Amino acid sequence: MSTATTAVPPRAVAPPGRLRTALRRPAARKLLLLGIVTAVLAPLAAARWGSGAWPDALTVDLAGPLGRANDWIIDNRDGHWLFLYFFGHISNAIITSVRGVYLVLLALGWAGVTAGASLLAWRLAGVRAAVTALASFAVCGLLGMWVPTMRTLALMIVAVAASVAVGALLGLAGGLSDRMFRAMRPVLDTMQALPAFAYLLPVVLVFGIGVAPAVLATVVYAAPPMARLTAMGLRGTDQGVLEAVDSLGATGRQRLLTARLPLARRELLLGVNQSIMMALSMAVIASVIGADGLGDRVYQALSTVDVGSALAAGIPIVLLAIVLDRTTAGHRSVGSRSAGLGAPPAVAGGGWAPRRTRTLTTWAVAIAAVVALGRAAGAKSWPDHWTVAIATPVNTAKDWMVDHLYSGIPGIGGTADWAAHYTGWVLDPLRDGLQGLPWWGALALVAALAWMIGTWRTALTATLSLAAIGVLGRWNVAMDTLSQVLAAVAVTLVAGFAIAVVAARSPRVDRLLRPVLDVFQTMPQFVYLIPVVALFGIGRAPAAAAAIVYALPAVVRIVSQGLRQADPAALESARSLGATGGQQLRQVQFPLARAELLLAVNQAVVLVLSVVIIGGLVGGGALGYEVVFGLAQGDLATGLMAGTAIACLGLMLDRVTQPTKPKEG
Amino acid sequence: MPTVDMNAETVNDLNDLKKPNAVGEAHGMNEAPPVFSVRNLWKVFGPKAERVPGSDLADLSPDELREKTGCTVAVRDVSFDVRPGECFVVMGLSGSGKSTLVRCLTRLIEPTAGTIAIDGEDVRGMDKGALRDLRRHRAAMVFQHFGLLPHRTVLDNVAYGLEIQGVGKAERRAKAAEMVEKVGLAGMEARRPGQLSGGQQQRVGLARALAADPEVLLFDEPFSALDPLIRRDMQEEVVRLNRDEGRTMVFITHDLSEALRVGDRIALMRGGRVVQCGTPEEIVGSPADDYVRDFVRDVPREQVLTVRRAMRPVRSAGEAETGAALNPATTVADAIEAVARTGAPARVVDAGRCLGIVDFKSLLSIVAGLDRMPGRVHSLKKAVA
Repeated sequence: MSTATTAVPPRAVAPPGRLRTALRRPAARKLLLLGIVTAVLAPLAAARWGSGAWPDALTVDLAGPLGRANDWIIDNRDGHWLFLYFFGHISNAIITSVRGVYLVLLALGWAGVTAGASLLAWRLAGVRAAVTALASFAVCGLLGMWVPTMRTLALMIVAVAASVAVGALLGLAGGLSDRMFRAMRPVLDTMQALPAFAYLLPVVLVFGIGVAPAVLATVVYAAPPMARLTAMGLRGTDQGVLEAVDSLGATGRQRLLTARLPLARRELLLGVNQSIMMALSMAVIASVIGADGLGDRVYQALSTVDVGSALAAGIPIVLLAIVLDRTTAGHRSVGSRSAGLGAPPAVAGGGWAPRRTRTLTTWAVAIAAVVALGRAAGAKSWPDHWTVAIATPVNTAKDWMVDHLYSGIPGIGGTADWAAHYTGWVLDPLRDGLQGLPWWGALALVAALAWMIGTWRTALTATLSLAAIGVLGRWNVAMDTLSQVLAAVAVTLVAGFAIAVVAARSPRVDRLLRPVLDVFQTMPQFVYLIPVVALFGIGRAPAAAAAIVYALPAVVRIVSQGLRQADPAALESARSLGATGGQQLRQVQFPLARAELLLAVNQAVVLVLSVVIIGGLVGGGALGYEVVFGLAQGDLATGLMAGTAIACLGLMLDRVTQPTKPKEG
Repeated sequence: MPTVDMNAETVNDLNDLKKPNAVGEAHGMNEAPPVFSVRNLWKVFGPKAERVPGSDLADLSPDELREKTGCTVAVRDVSFDVRPGECFVVMGLSGSGKSTLVRCLTRLIEPTAGTIAIDGEDVRGMDKGALRDLRRHRAAMVFQHFGLLPHRTVLDNVAYGLEIQGVGKAERRAKAAEMVEKVGLAGMEARRPGQLSGGQQQRVGLARALAADPEVLLFDEPFSALDPLIRRDMQEEVVRLNRDEGRTMVFITHDLSEALRVGDRIALMRGGRVVQCGTPEEIVGSPADDYVRDFVRDVPREQVLTVRRAMRPVRSAGEAETGAALNPATTVADAIEAVARTGAPARVVDAGRCLGIVDFKSLLSIVAGLDRMPGRVHSLKKAVA
C-alpha cells in the first residue's frame, strides 16, 4: 500500500539516491537536521554536566528572590504608593461591587432572585430555559446552598461584567487593527491553553488572599475568549457587505455600528457565553485563593474527603452552569431563528418606539411585582425548614461503596483495585521512564515532535518552555505531572476516537450522545473531582479519571464532527469503488479530517493538563500539589515557581500538538 | 463581378462606422460633457506599485513582473468616457481587471496612476469628505453578491444608503418603500435577505442603489449569480431604467450576450487593457484583433448588425424609388423579414435620403459571415488606407 511505503522513515545508511528522495520530504529533512544537531550537542552536554538528570549548573534558584519579593509586598502593602493609589483602588472597587451585588441579591430575596432569573431566561432563551432556571434555583435552595450560591453568583456577575467589558474592548482593538490582532493573537492562544491554576499565584502575590484576587484571576481567565471571538467576529465580516457599505459612502463609525458589530452579533453572543462559562469554572477554582461561595464549600469538603457535603455544593455549581449556558446560548438560536423565519411584520413608518417603551414598562412592573412578592414572603434567604440534607445519606452510600465496590468483586476486582493497577502498572513506569530520560533527550524529542507537527517556531517555543522548567528546578516534578498527562491523554484519545467513530457512523448514537456531551461540556472542571473521589478515593488515579472524563466530550465532539464533515462526494466515490466501511474510515475520512484529529489531540492535551493540575487537590501530587501547598503555607515562592512550571508545561504541550496553519504561512 | 461588389460594400461599411453611433445620435448627447472621463488609468497590486506604470517594468509579462517585483497589473493604461444617459459596458473574462476598474471609479480600490473625472471634477484629488459625498449622492453600486445586511429587513436595507446620508427615519422609509415598489418587491418589505431568492435579493440591491437617486449606477456583474430566466428579467429591468429614466450606467459583465443586450457601447478588456471599445455592432462587425474575433464568433450576427452595414450602393435610379424603406438602425434579422415578405430588395432611408439597398445577397452574406473572413478584412483595411 502506498501509505506504508511513504511512512518509511529515512535511514542514514540508505543509498544516496534513496536518501535524496527521502530528503525531499520536509518531515525527513527536519528530522535529519535535528538529529545532526542532537548528535553534536548531546555528547557535549553529557560530557559537561554528567548525568541524565537536569544539571544543577543550569538551574536558577528563584526561591530566594521570590520569597524576598513576597516579603517586600507584604511589608509595603499598606504603605507603598503603588498599593495605596493603584492596586488598593482596584481591590476596593472589586470588593465594593461584589458586596453591592450580593446585597442586591439578598434584598431581592429568594423569591425575587428565582423569579427574576426565570423571567430573564424566558426573555432570552424561551420557556424551557425559564423552567430550567426555576427548577435549578429551587434545588439550590432545597440543598441548603442558597447563601453560597448567591455569593458565587455575586462574584460571577462582577467578574463576567468586567471580563466581557475588557474582552470586548480588546477584541474591538484587535478586530479593527491588523497590527493589534497580530500582537494579540499568540497571547490569547497561549492564555487559553494554560491551566487555571497558573493564573492564581501572580494575583495572590500582589493582592493577597481574598475576593479581589479571586475576581481578578477570574477576569484574566475569562476575558480571552471574549476578546478572541469579538476580534474574529469583526474580522470575519463578509467583505462583500463591507464593500457595499463603503460604496454607499459610510463613515468609519457608521460602518462599525451599522454593519460590522451587528454582523458579528453571533460571535459576540458566543463570546459572552464562553466568558460566563470560563468565569464560572474559575470562580469555583478560585476558592483556593479566597473566593467564598460554592467552590469554597466543595474545596473544604474535599479536603476532608466529605463526599456528601462536596456533592451538596457541587450540584448547585452544575445547575448554575447549565442555567447560565442555556440562558445565554439560547439567545443565539432564537436570534438565528427569527433571522430565518417569521420576522416581525414591521411596515413602513412602523411603531418601534412605542413597542419598546411598552416592553420596558412591562418588565419594570413584572420585576417590581416579583420583588414585592419576595418581600411579602418574608424571608430574604431560603427558609431553613425547606431544605433537604443530602450530605449524610450520600456519605452512607459512599461508605457502602467503599465496603462493597472498592475491591474484591469477583472477576473484575473493584474501583480501588483498578486505581492501584493504573497507578502501579501505567503511571509509575511512565513517570520513572520520563524522569530517567536524559534531559537533552527529552528536549530533542519535544523539538522533533513539535517540528514534525508544526513549524520551527512552535518547536522552538516548546523546547524553550521545557528547558525553562528545568531552569526553574522543577524538572522531576514536571515529569511526574507529564506522566499523568500522557497516560490520561492516551486513554482519552483511544476512548474518544472509538466513541466518535461510532457516533459519526450512527445518527442514533449521535442523537443520544449530544445532550450528554452538552451537559458535560458546560460543567466546570472542579466538580469532576467529586465523583472520582467517591469512586476511587484519593491519589493520582482519581485525578486521571477526572481528567479523562473532562476531556472526553471535547474529543468526541471534534472528531465526530470532523469525520461527518468529510466530503460526501469523496465518500461516495470510495463506496462506488467498493471500499469497505473500515477502508472508507482509514483511507477517506481520517485523512480528510486530519486537521480536526490534530485539534482533538491538542484539546485533549490542554484539557487533561488543566484537570491533572487541579488533581493536586485530591492527592494528584506533583506541580498541582506544590501550588496548593504554597498557597496553604503562605510559601508563595514555591507556589509561584510551580505555577510558572505549569504555565511552561501547558505552553510546551500546546505547542507540540499545534498543527501547522498553512494560511498564516 | 460579385467579388468587386462585395469589396465596395464593405468599404462603405467601414466608412460608415466612423460616424457616430446610432444610440448617441438618437439621444442627441454627443456634445454633452462625459459623466466619467478616465485617462491612462492604472491599478497595480503589490509592493511599491507606483513604480510600475509607465516604466519598462510594465512591458514585462505578468509572470515575469510578479517574479521580479511581486506586483500584478490589474488595470493597464485604460482610457474611456462614459456619456450621459448611456449604458457603458465593460466586458472581459475573469481576471481581465474589469471589476477592479469599476471599483477604481469611486476609489473603492485606490488607483495607482492616471486620472478619473466625474463631471469634470477630479476624483483622485478628492478628500475623504468629498469622496463620501460622491459615493452617497452621485454614484451608487450594485454588486454581484448583493452585499445586503442580513440582519435588516428589505425595507431597512433599501433605506440604508439614505440612513448613512443622515435622512430622517420617516422620510427614508417612505422613499425606500417607493423604491421597493418600483423594483417589484411590494409586500416583501418586512422580510430579511435570507428569505429572498437570488433575483429578489438583487432587486433589493438595485432598489438600494436607486434610493439615493444617483447620477451614475455602477453594476459589478450584477446578474452573474442568477438563473438564466431571472437574469433576463433583470436585464430588461436595467434596459428599461436606462431607456425610460435616462440613467447613466457602467455595467460590468463577463457575458457577451448580456453586454450586447444592455450596452450602448462596450469596452472589451483583456489582461487589464481595453482591446476594443465601440458599439455592439462595431465589436461584432469589426473585431479589432483575433482575440475579439474569437470572442464574438458565436454571436448571431443578424441580430446585432444593422442594415447600415449590410447595404450596398444604389445601382440605378429606379432602385432608390421602389421597395420597402428601412431605418439604418434596423437589424439584419428584421430586414430579412421585410425583404422576405415583399420578395424585393429594400431601401435604407435616413431623413428622406436613400443611403443604400439591401437585397437577399447582401443580407445573407452578413448571416454567413462572409464580411469577416480574416484575409478579406486585412486586404480591405489596406484598401481603405
